[in-house]
Amino acid sequence: MRWRHPVLVGLMLALNPIAAATEEAGVSVRDAWVRETPPGVAMMAGYMVLQNNTSRSQVLVAARSSGFEIVMIHRTIVKEGLTGMEHAPKIEILPNASLIFAPGGYHLMLMNPKRTLRAGDPVVINLEFRGGLVLPVAFEVRK
Amino acid sequence: MKKISLEFGVMMTAVVLAAMLGVVWLAATYRENGSRAILLPDRVMTLFPDPRPLTAFAFTDHENRVFDLSRLKGKWSFLFFGYTHCPDICPTTLATLARAHENIVKSAVGAKDVQFVFISVDPNRDTASKLGQYVTYFDTTFLGVTGDNSQLGNLAGQLGAAYEVAITPGVENYPVYHTAAVFLVDPRARYHAVFAPPLDAEGISRRFKVLRELEGPKAT
Repeated sequence: MRWRHPVLVGLMLALNPIAAATEEAGVSVRDAWVRETPPGVAMMAGYMVLQNNTSRSQVLVAARSSGFEIVMIHRTIVKEGLTGMEHAPKIEILPNASLIFAPGGYHLMLMNPKRTLRAGDPVVINLEFRGGLVLPVAFEVRK
Repeated sequence: MKKISLEFGVMMTAVVLAAMLGVVWLAATYRENGSRAILLPDRVMTLFPDPRPLTAFAFTDHENRVFDLSRLKGKWSFLFFGYTHCPDICPTTLATLARAHENIVKSAVGAKDVQFVFISVDPNRDTASKLGQYVTYFDTTFLGVTGDNSQLGNLAGQLGAAYEVAITPGVENYPVYHTAAVFLVDPRARYHAVFAPPLDAEGISRRFKVLRELEGPKAT
């Protein structure tokens, strides 16, 4: 890591215990990324693979981040040939199953980033599950 | 006796498997070499045997120039309807089209006779300068165009596309619904083919290169 990014190093170190805590909680997240947007666009999308390692269903009820004004769980849907988005108030992840947030499907809609995010930047989004579990997840901005 | 038949069975299974693999291999080879085979109707591209000529429409491009029917002539045009406040499907599609364009650039014929046009169905928020910033981020050659509702409806209707903008007073992020397919218009401004989502760059560029080779002289 180059000396130019002390903040990045700090954040990465800080996120290490988070990853461990996530495993313990029974829900793990991998391949978490946010698509870099053209300049001036205040609407981004976050993708990830959510894995439920427990023997009971886990229900994702909200997502929040200090990096964005609004975070919502959305799904791109096709209705009568028209593609649009719908808000998903909660998503159930079945026992020992994974749920994929990917382009054209489920995504975290990230509105009004507090600072300009460029490819390589990390941004933390907290995933909130029914029962009070909160998972901080490090997303990487990718082009 | 039993042992022999078992061995025979194993041998026959192996022969059948080898034959099946051979057929798969032959089919793949045919697909690669036989241009026509690759253009059989599939889930990626629908090709119209009798392309329909488009009629007059008028938009403005991101450099404030008129973008009308004449701008579709002499080039293959990939058209995509969307809006810049779209977090998921529009940036995903434009990134895919940028990769498809790269592939076409690398082909022997190149991409001089190809253009990619993003048609915003949300002229209320998508000004020319915003559109310019947006589309050129994905690819510096991309064009962003928009127009009034009647003109958007006009071209969308000709392509069998649709959209719905649910403008809600006081709501900054009103929902927009739109057809997510990519439309291909040939150099005679005829609606020639359509690519259905989910889109992938290789799927699009590979089929396009074959189509251009087959139709090129006829289409221009």
